[in-house]
Amino acid sequence: MDGISLELTSPRLIELDSEDSGESSRLRQQQPALFASYSDLRRLRYDYPLVLVEDDGGSARVQSLTDVVNALVRQVVPAGTQGKAFRWQLLYLEQTVRELVAAGTEGRLSRLWRKAEAELIKAADKADREALVKNLDLARETLETDGEVIDCDDKTPARFLVHAWNTIQAGKAKAFRKRIDGLILKLSDILKSDFTKSDKARSPEILKSAVGDTFDTDFDFDAMSRVLVEGSHADMLSPERRRRIEAVLMVLQSQRFYGPGRASGRWVEDVEPYTFVFDNCADAMDAFRDRLPQMVDFIEAVSIAELEIENKYRPELHDPFFQRLDESELTADDLALFPSYLVCLRDGESDAVETVRALEAIASGFPVKVLIQTDDILGDSSPEPPRASFAGGSARLAAMALGVNNAYVFQTASASLFRLQERVLKGMLYEGPALFSVYSGATKTVSGISPYLLSAAATESRTFPSFTYDPAAGPDWASRFDIRDNPQVESTWASHVLTYEDEALQRSSEAVAFTHIDFAICDSRFEKHWVPTSRSKWMDTMISASDLLAREGNGAASVVPYVWTIDGDGCLRRTVVDDRLLNSARRCAETWRSLQELGGIDNSHARCQLEAARAEWEQERQRLSGAAEVAEAVAAAPAIAESPVAAPAEETAPAPDSGVDAAEARAPDEPYIETARCTTCNECTQINNKMFVYNENKQAYIADPDAGSYRQIVEAAESCQVSIIHPGKPRNPDEPNLAELIERAEPFN
Amino acid sequence: MHAPRTECLLNLIDQEYAIRDYQSDIPPRWCTGCGDNAILTAIQRLCRDEQLPPEKTVFVSGIGCSSRLPHYMNAYGFHGLHGRAFPVAEGIKMRRPDLHVFVTTGDGDCCSIGAAHWIHAIRYNMDMTVLMHDNQIYGLTKMQASPTSPRGLRSNTTPRGAYLEPLNPLTVTLGVPNVSFVAQAADWIPETLFDIVSQAYRHKGFSFVRVLQRCPEFMPHRFDAFVQDPSLTRLLVHQKGLTLTPDTSRTYRNQEIHDPGDLNRAREIASLTEEVPVGILYRNSEVPCYEDLREGERPNTPGLIRTVLDEEFDKFTIWPEDQPDQPAAS
Repeated sequence: MDGISLELTSPRLIELDSEDSGESSRLRQQQPALFASYSDLRRLRYDYPLVLVEDDGGSARVQSLTDVVNALVRQVVPAGTQGKAFRWQLLYLEQTVRELVAAGTEGRLSRLWRKAEAELIKAADKADREALVKNLDLARETLETDGEVIDCDDKTPARFLVHAWNTIQAGKAKAFRKRIDGLILKLSDILKSDFTKSDKARSPEILKSAVGDTFDTDFDFDAMSRVLVEGSHADMLSPERRRRIEAVLMVLQSQRFYGPGRASGRWVEDVEPYTFVFDNCADAMDAFRDRLPQMVDFIEAVSIAELEIENKYRPELHDPFFQRLDESELTADDLALFPSYLVCLRDGESDAVETVRALEAIASGFPVKVLIQTDDILGDSSPEPPRASFAGGSARLAAMALGVNNAYVFQTASASLFRLQERVLKGMLYEGPALFSVYSGATKTVSGISPYLLSAAATESRTFPSFTYDPAAGPDWASRFDIRDNPQVESTWASHVLTYEDEALQRSSEAVAFTHIDFAICDSRFEKHWVPTSRSKWMDTMISASDLLAREGNGAASVVPYVWTIDGDGCLRRTVVDDRLLNSARRCAETWRSLQELGGIDNSHARCQLEAARAEWEQERQRLSGAAEVAEAVAAAPAIAESPVAAPAEETAPAPDSGVDAAEARAPDEPYIETARCTTCNECTQINNKMFVYNENKQAYIADPDAGSYRQIVEAAESCQVSIIHPGKPRNPDEPNLAELIERAEPFN
Repeated sequence: MHAPRTECLLNLIDQEYAIRDYQSDIPPRWCTGCGDNAILTAIQRLCRDEQLPPEKTVFVSGIGCSSRLPHYMNAYGFHGLHGRAFPVAEGIKMRRPDLHVFVTTGDGDCCSIGAAHWIHAIRYNMDMTVLMHDNQIYGLTKMQASPTSPRGLRSNTTPRGAYLEPLNPLTVTLGVPNVSFVAQAADWIPETLFDIVSQAYRHKGFSFVRVLQRCPEFMPHRFDAFVQDPSLTRLLVHQKGLTLTPDTSRTYRNQEIHDPGDLNRAREIASLTEEVPVGILYRNSEVPCYEDLREGERPNTPGLIRTVLDEEFDKFTIWPEDQPDQPAAS
């Protein structure tokens, strides 16, 4: 408990509470103020609902309903005012489908579309119906996308992941069948051609059936058979080879890993293909171990078949090899032939011991894809992330899985699943184990906030940050680990503009940080840790929680930390929070900070190195300038050589207010602006208003070159109307695409 | 009367104005990159440096992108009818000569629909500072040719290219009797823009400043040649005109020493086509202002009204013995 002690804060809360007690029931329904614009999601066009598009080509994607409708509008609706009514009708259908799904209706898009159409026709005037029906028919015929429609709820992560897994498996199955069917057909051809050389194939009956009935009186088939049989049998298959081919065919045709193809999978009728989706890791691992012998057999059969087709099988060479073959010889390519295992776990429902098993399964390296769905990030009694729950507040299991090093790890919240579906597919395609940690947003103790909004808030508040660890992306952390899917990834908390109506009924706005506290107050379990206050009770000592958290040491017992909230009536309030919430936000920020470091943002190792290099440079510079002074004294030269100014090129003219001295004092690779030539056109400040700031003359200068990325400096230089921004050299060596940026910066330096 | 004491109190709470005190609550709606921003900044710097009280300053405009400027100043403003900024400004100056009057207008607003008012405003020579934002296009209504659009410009009203040579606002202004101050500035040279605006403000009379203004949206490359090649800009310097900082002087080496009193040379410079003259072309502080010629007998500023009232009240005042016959505050 550094800073404010509980003894000090608790009475303060009670005192404020008693003042407000008259309206306490209403005050209990507080939401973060930044939620104000999202109170009714059904009225908004956003990612959800999603359409799980089916396509056995393996290229199917999840599509947003909004995108589907947009594409449809582009296809069928005439441009301009002509298509106004039609466009409106299609948007109405989208709206209705969204409402249906939000009300719990499940089904495929085509079915929901029909329902929405019926509603629209019912609501339309009789006179307009004919044109309306014509429009709807055209739209329906053009609409090619179909599949299950899902909203953002507690089932979303599992359905999304299973769909992605199915998509990948369908692609795999297609390639698998093509290959195995090819082998079977070629092996059968070998057997068939051998048969045509046998005595049986040359018997009069077979010969007769080959010619058909039309000419049977013209031929003497007995004589023909006699002549043919007397020929040489020297190139018949050896019985050993024939047996081998038949055995291989048997194995290939009776495989149970994929459903039946044209030639494969002809097993006995009551034997089902294997299942690969499990709800616990133990079953999945058992199944994998049980099937290992079959997998070895199958790989053996495939290898033999390939040798046989080319007639390269040498028994003296290959027999001992295939006798020795066991599961330890299976290569990654071999394993990639079979479907991967999918395990869907759910925090709170699955057995707690599963956490250990899941880690074990991932560490064992077998191709299992584990989904861990978290419904509750915060603990029961404390707003701090619980230690016991395996989901963990800030990426506990996913963070642990990072240590496995060869596993694909992806964490995100439901709200971002659609946007980040490429990452999900990448994980499914990854040849090794993969862990997907997804927060569903369907926390039972939160009421009045949709899972979509809550899950988005979890990412926004750094409580459940998104990250990806992809071992296939490269050899080092810089290429493997990625946290750029988080909002405003450079800062501790994401900051947004809150616009509200002030006392004088005027529009007012303020930048508000969205912290872990904003997320925690949504949860009814933590009501005792906060108290909303109305405008009349606001005090000068109040300070926003994010400002207090940003202070070093936080050691001010005299201030009252608050966050902005709105109540059920949309009234803005300052909600005072206690130490527990502050401490938990502090811990959350620490976890986020360590993730940032891993992601290469303000990395402490890099910073140390940079400081060392800078100190060295500074020393060198002082040494040089010292030498110059000595030289000057010796030569008694009156003037210091002027800094070289490239004659007409205006870009190189130094800033007049800072003068030549400033130009000399400036490090050679540092970015700078010729402030006196700035035309206040807002290009750079719109790119980053912390890095580029106006001075007292309202002309821009670089206030803090580390407040943003090198990319932003380069983009600002490119968009500057009078080309006065000079980007210098990058300051963060870990920034992606540096080579390209340096090239782009060259003309401005 | 206790007027002197109140004045003291007022002076006590007088504040030092900073640029932000002249900024209104509305953030500028101009496109990012627009040259109008530079003009706004120059004006705000002027107000700050001259410490103009916002309540004593009026910005009058017509219609157009340029004419949105009064919204962004924390001062009095009058967003008038298209082309009618000058009559409104003249009315204000006539009735309240104590106010600082600024007119912001554009090439369409001033030289097309408002051309008649413009000519007569020059002739009336009332004390006001006029900034004509010349981007050579109608930007607010999305790209129609204006009177200053270059010949051949394809726009929404001239799809085959503009047929006529553009109007030259400098030569027109210099040709009107009673002209007293004409200058040209460019938004991409903020130092001289600020210098010219300051001198225009300090000139008593109708100071006409044409500001060449980039429109990144509809005329994106019109002034590129001038922005990139400083030798195409001819800076007019003189001890009575612009004083350049060493850096500006080093960058813009194409300079001419031009006496702002020389009307004939001013007309020649104004007619240059290959180069852009920047600086003060003409200044004559001897030309009388219309508001002075027609000064009425009625007191028309708060200060005058108070003086007259005080004089009347003083006739009935009984002074304490130790303070006989105090003069009234003015």
